[in-house]
Amino acid sequence: MSLQHALIDILADGQFHSGNELGERLNVSRSAVWKALQHLRDFDVDIHAVHGRGYRLAEPLELLDSERIHSALNQQTQAQLQSLDILFDVDSTNAWLLKAPQRHAVVCLAERQHAGRGRRGRDWLAPFATNLTLSLGWRFELDITALSSFSLICGVAVVRALEGFGVSGLGLKWPNDIMCQNKKLGGILIEMRGESGGPCELVIGVGLNMRVSADQAATITQPWIDLQHCDSISRNRLAAALIDELVQACMACSEGKLDAYLTQWRQLNIHQQLPVTLHLMDGREVSGHFADIDESGALLLSENGQQQRFTCGEVSLRSG
Amino acid sequence: MDIRKVKKLIELLEESGIAEIEIKEGEESVRITRNSSVAAAPAMMQMTAPAPAATPTPAAAAPVAEASSDADALPSGHIVKSPMVGTFYRSPAPGSPEFVQVGQSVSKGETICIIEAMKILNQIEADKSGVIKAILANNGEPVEYDEPLFVIE
Repeated sequence: MSLQHALIDILADGQFHSGNELGERLNVSRSAVWKALQHLRDFDVDIHAVHGRGYRLAEPLELLDSERIHSALNQQTQAQLQSLDILFDVDSTNAWLLKAPQRHAVVCLAERQHAGRGRRGRDWLAPFATNLTLSLGWRFELDITALSSFSLICGVAVVRALEGFGVSGLGLKWPNDIMCQNKKLGGILIEMRGESGGPCELVIGVGLNMRVSADQAATITQPWIDLQHCDSISRNRLAAALIDELVQACMACSEGKLDAYLTQWRQLNIHQQLPVTLHLMDGREVSGHFADIDESGALLLSENGQQQRFTCGEVSLRSG
Repeated sequence: MDIRKVKKLIELLEESGIAEIEIKEGEESVRITRNSSVAAAPAMMQMTAPAPAATPTPAAAAPVAEASSDADALPSGHIVKSPMVGTFYRSPAPGSPEFVQVGQSVSKGETICIIEAMKILNQIEADKSGVIKAILANNGEPVEYDEPLFVIE
């Protein structure tokens, strides 16, 4: 554990700790403590320093704890999981797993991502220890073409995990943005390195807003929501539930048992039967009604009795 | 439309270097296209050729010779094909530098493009070391399964 990690571990309780106490507990000098505190402030951790009392966090934090997460997993997941790594600071949990030597049934979580990636390199906000960023690596003995609906299945899995904590108003935006009250709560990015015609190793990255601060909110350019409106949800317990559901989804995919997922996806679709515009990656826009998805997860857009099928693009509600 | 006029148009097209011609006369229209690989192949090779430095002189004759077999549209070398249907991206993110350029050396295992379908991003690696001779798909455009993407030599 790095010094910063050990330091934040002590401060996470939200109580005052003097510089002397911190130095003694960590067995380092006061100036080393001070440097580590500065480093944490660079991560946008709000640390109050009060003369004569010491340091404390503006708000207590629940840090990720691999033992707590592991013990909260269901038996099936515990039997499957090969490793569970919690990183203090990483470029992106997806990138870390893509480089890992072992890539099946492995989980990686990070307190902070400094180069979190959304789709097509958009930044994914992951400030220190307040949101949840998690990746699962899984190897499928299937060709990638058999996994075309997998991205939608993962969206349903994340919604199922959140439903277990009583989060209401959940929905999905094609293919798998996690929505709550029609605002973005989280996202999923699946990455792979693969050739055709063989087994493929996928890394599923999930990012969820749990507590977004005012400073961070100012940098987000789309309607968003976090989980502060729900009764306090434990990060560790939510992480365990997400891992359980994602592992379940991977196993269902391997067995080809996807009907229940796709049925639930349709029920969660925030645009089902609504007039939408699809923004394609080459700049074109197509309008129509969101008729349905097919069994491969592709969007079926209907306009004047004609149906078109799409596997890429960004859907938005058509105004007017 | 008078068949003699169409014949005349075909002759006209053959004499010129034009690949395609469309004529409208009132309600009627006719479009005549030459074997598209003839015209398309040289154009593509010009676009993707690394440098005009060492072009051999008989280049002008080459397209005519190649016209008979359409596979010759691709420069010779190892072809990297798309493993899936999706959208082709040449860079890791919009606005960031492209993974590879024509003329660049790549080593086996290096990421050369991304194919995305339904938010699954597949990093395609060079499966052979060599020099990128041609890039056959355009950024942000859809590609089909097995569609040739790169030629590496």
